[in-house]
Amino acid sequence: MVEDKENVANGEQVSKKGAKKQAKAAKKAEQKAENASAAAANNAGGDSAEDHAAGRYGLSEMIQSKDKRSERNFVPVHELSGQVGKADLVWVRGRVHTSRAKGKQCFLILRQQSSTVQCILAVGDVISKQMVKFAGNIPKESIIDIQAKPVAVSSKIESCTEQSLELCVEQIFVISQAKAQLPLQIEDASRPENADDVDGLNIRVNQDTRLDNRVLDLRTPANQAIFRLEAGVCRLFRDILTDQGFTEIHTPKIISAASEGGANVFTVSYFKDSAYLAQSPQLYKQMAIAADFDKVYTVGAVFRAEDSNTHRHLTEFVGLDLEMAFKYHYHEVLHTIGNTFTAIFKGLRDKYAREIESVGQQYKVDAFKFLEPPLILQFAEGVAMLREAGVETGDEEDLSTPNEKLLGRLVKAKYDTDFYILDKFPLAIRPFYTMPDPNNPVYSNSYDMFMRGEEILSGAQRIHDPEYLMERAKHHGIDTSKIAAYIESFRYGCPPHAGGGIGMERVVMLYLGLDNIRKTSMFPRDPKRLTP
Amino acid sequence: MYELKTLLPQFDIKLPTCMYALKNVSLAADALATPASTSSSSTCRWEESSSSRSHKTNGSGKAAATCALDLDTLGRQIQQLLKNDTATVAARQEKVLQQLEELKAQLGQIRAGLGVCGKTYQHTTAFQNGGLKEIPLQDVVINGHPNFIPYALLALKNAWRDLYTIDVKTFTHSTMADIGPAAREFEANLAKVPVNPALPKINVTLIWKNCEHTEMISSPTMYVPIYGEVNIIRYLGRVGPAEYRYEGSALCNEIDLVLDICYQLLRCNTHKTQVAMVRLLDKRLQQQQYFGGSQMSVADIGVYSSLIRMPAITDKDLTPALLAWRKRAKLVAQI
Repeated sequence: MVEDKENVANGEQVSKKGAKKQAKAAKKAEQKAENASAAAANNAGGDSAEDHAAGRYGLSEMIQSKDKRSERNFVPVHELSGQVGKADLVWVRGRVHTSRAKGKQCFLILRQQSSTVQCILAVGDVISKQMVKFAGNIPKESIIDIQAKPVAVSSKIESCTEQSLELCVEQIFVISQAKAQLPLQIEDASRPENADDVDGLNIRVNQDTRLDNRVLDLRTPANQAIFRLEAGVCRLFRDILTDQGFTEIHTPKIISAASEGGANVFTVSYFKDSAYLAQSPQLYKQMAIAADFDKVYTVGAVFRAEDSNTHRHLTEFVGLDLEMAFKYHYHEVLHTIGNTFTAIFKGLRDKYAREIESVGQQYKVDAFKFLEPPLILQFAEGVAMLREAGVETGDEEDLSTPNEKLLGRLVKAKYDTDFYILDKFPLAIRPFYTMPDPNNPVYSNSYDMFMRGEEILSGAQRIHDPEYLMERAKHHGIDTSKIAAYIESFRYGCPPHAGGGIGMERVVMLYLGLDNIRKTSMFPRDPKRLTP
Repeated sequence: MYELKTLLPQFDIKLPTCMYALKNVSLAADALATPASTSSSSTCRWEESSSSRSHKTNGSGKAAATCALDLDTLGRQIQQLLKNDTATVAARQEKVLQQLEELKAQLGQIRAGLGVCGKTYQHTTAFQNGGLKEIPLQDVVINGHPNFIPYALLALKNAWRDLYTIDVKTFTHSTMADIGPAAREFEANLAKVPVNPALPKINVTLIWKNCEHTEMISSPTMYVPIYGEVNIIRYLGRVGPAEYRYEGSALCNEIDLVLDICYQLLRCNTHKTQVAMVRLLDKRLQQQQYFGGSQMSVADIGVYSSLIRMPAITDKDLTPALLAWRKRAKLVAQI
């Protein structure tokens, strides 16, 4: 009862507080209106004549493709330095990053993707007091058009990417206004994560807030760079493989039976029946090989209904898969995949240095190191290295996650590489379709690839002989009637082949050394998140 | 001296009868002479050996009784030991050595029977290495800058062609955009040397990297890098074929000295200091065939490799003796 009373009291208090707040807000609004009317009166009173800048600023009407305005010469912010010293005025479209009006001056930082430039409005012949005030009141993140003159500055502007120049604004129009209240500040979201710096501002935006307001979060320089780099990974993957004679294929994502194992699939209703979302394009890749495409790759969504809430699992991700027929030895494929990775890493190192640097400014990580040609170790060698480090692990035991990480550290210490390949895994821990090693029945023709000590690719030579496949499936206790279609596809002759697949998000995460896969998925899907 | 009391009471030690009496291997020389004494406890070995002649008949019983610290007996033993001519001791040592040889031969046979002949070589070298326990050699990683190519690797590989395999795999680290033509040629030359699978070998991973020193890492868990090409030569000289192991040889100091000069030579920046070092080398060589004698050694490898790395040193800077030496060394190193 007492508690109840208290609650009631609290409730009343809250409501009282609320009422007070409302009253305050109302008062504020009133005052604002008063001020505005006063200002308007002032303007009407005598300023209208004084406002010599009228028409040079204001809210632009909604752009409905009325005029072409092709006479306006728009210049990207990162190319502004080339315009310094020229007599022409330039147009720039960008977002208001920050704006600060101070008396007769207004400093405004304009942002365009990852580039920022300082703009200045000072009361003078061209600019009126009202214009400065208007510029100072544009909400952050609004999109504006400005016409300005680029001017070189004597001292570097540290807070902008264009450090050697500023823009003297002559016209300013708001194209699309942002809400005055933002759910997160871009500045907070892009603040460097520096655990050592105790004195620095420690305001962070937590992961969920970021993901809930992904549109804003994605505007940070680091995120801009991450997704440009991710596009680079895909492009390099496609280009490199195409150059080597691979064909891109597209595989169905709605399938009738579980492709791998059977667990961890999403069920979707399919008219009167139900179907599954593909967990891997492997079966279709193999069928393409059996259909004489020789070398194929595919880029597409892959679904995993695993309820694992870790830093490296998503329920939907982009799979980069490849499959290749070979002549006599699966190392032909192993080297192709390994070299593809090296080529991707080199491409990223050489063409995406700017992006890598801008991610590095927010998240402090070491540059990704690799060897060319890629380092290939035998599984047994890996086990020996672990044992030397004092870890008890069996010959036929799979690497546990901590062992995997430790081995990554050992390899890094010895060979100084973040990428390596482990070859010849024990047969017992691989799926039934893996080809056993001809020389040692304990091992198999299978391999894993690792980046920064985490597995990114798992592949093998697949059994292409239907009878042997049946035998292996029975050995694993798999109901052969369920995989009849899979086995059937090898009955009309199939070249020996091997392949593997990687998750794009995971590769980007590990390449950049980020701590969470959600940072490299634009709109991540995990067991707890379906929106946005 | 004062007379001291016996510290331990005299125990009547009864030997268990449930065990077989074993022949005492190390004392077999005496054992042959006095079969009875071999059954006594080993703590009395000294006593037995010294008194074996005088107490031939009652050796066993007496030994057990005088086992404890009895100064009188001890004194007597020492006296007798001193009186005994050293010839007997020498004979015994001889015998022990012979037995060890036999044991070794026996083990060798067993090993051959098990079909692990490949390792026999390493084991025998281990024996020469002071009997250290031989474990399989770690794969080693050598980080080198393409501007400072470790030519010694190739020289050793060529020199040891018929003795020992250095299996070198080369990689380029991501910190190096391009390794340049010299390093590529070096890689190609390394690959040219045929690999004989029958020989004992060491796996070397050579990584071209943007690093200051040529460094070698053997174990990642105990990160103890070895810096400098000369020290890598020393390491390989220790694990390599017996012909090139120099630690046991009389020339050990000489070879080390020459290698140290090489190290200094590689650090010289000016031509003048380089020539000074070359003069030092000439002094060490004198009129010998090779550095430190008539046999090729790791010192020659070191000097040869260092001279290649120093293009500033021309034939003009070398003395006739050095030039002649270089010709001889070239036949072995083949660079």
